[in-house]
Amino acid sequence: MKLNYDNINVGDEMPVYVSQPLTRTDLVKYAGASGDFNPLHHDNTFVKLLGMERVIAHGMLIMGIAGEAITAWIDNKNLRKFNVRFAGMTEPADFDDLENTTKRATITVTGKVVKKYEENGEKRIQCDITAQNGFDSTKLTGFFIAALPR
Amino acid sequence: MADKSKIGYEFPVCSIDVEKTKIADFAMAVAQKDVPEKINPIYTNEEAAKKAGYPGITIPPTFGTTFMFRTGGGLMGVVNALGINLGKLLHGEEEYEYFGDVCAGDVITGRIKVIDMYQKERKGKSGRFMEFTVLETEMRNQRGELVIRARSTMVER
Repeated sequence: MKLNYDNINVGDEMPVYVSQPLTRTDLVKYAGASGDFNPLHHDNTFVKLLGMERVIAHGMLIMGIAGEAITAWIDNKNLRKFNVRFAGMTEPADFDDLENTTKRATITVTGKVVKKYEENGEKRIQCDITAQNGFDSTKLTGFFIAALPR
Repeated sequence: MADKSKIGYEFPVCSIDVEKTKIADFAMAVAQKDVPEKINPIYTNEEAAKKAGYPGITIPPTFGTTFMFRTGGGLMGVVNALGINLGKLLHGEEEYEYFGDVCAGDVITGRIKVIDMYQKERKGKSGRFMEFTVLETEMRNQRGELVIRARSTMVER
């Protein structure tokens, strides 16, 4: 069914989106695609200097995954604002210990409609979103605003 | 420590070409797919994008982030100009406001501005502060239309 303003209600939930377990290859691909080559996201010798055990995902990759979750539900064209606050670091899965590291690297994005209103002559909704890993550790919280057809 | 005299600082005006291959690479990276055929066709296929109401192949919601990394000397250029220690840098917040379509073939022009810098005391650690730097970039297309306003909050822990 096509989403429209009249058949969406405050309290409605966005379809849950689950990422693939993030690997270092995902991080490298995102680095190349975005141009963000902070060594924190690919160079183990750099992160050791910071006292960290392993590289971490770009916050913006997690926001990108959240964007993918949102646009699986709402047309990209209808987005008016997308805001996130980063809450925690995400470590990728280790291939030599997948059993214990897959959950920490798997991101689940959820969302709930919190507001319906008119602005700029458009019917808009605000939907709060959260991204967590498989241990319910929150990676980001935020919201998006979308204009919907009636 | 971030240099507070940089509030109001504006990086040079820069332009980027919005390229098909770059859009596809970015869209595949955030969708974690290996091939363009597996992602939303509005990011790869002109006909599908037009059917969805765009003038051409469009961009994913967070594609605007590439503007910052491809202008102003990239991440290191921005970090050095602001006096931020890369080893202590965290990304605090990110926001995009969307005003119009961005499509392959567009030329996006903008400049990164430092709109705020402030300190907050660390929770439970009196006398220890985190430094916040807020960057704003208004991106305009080749017709001068505002298409995206991006705001990034950088944190030095």
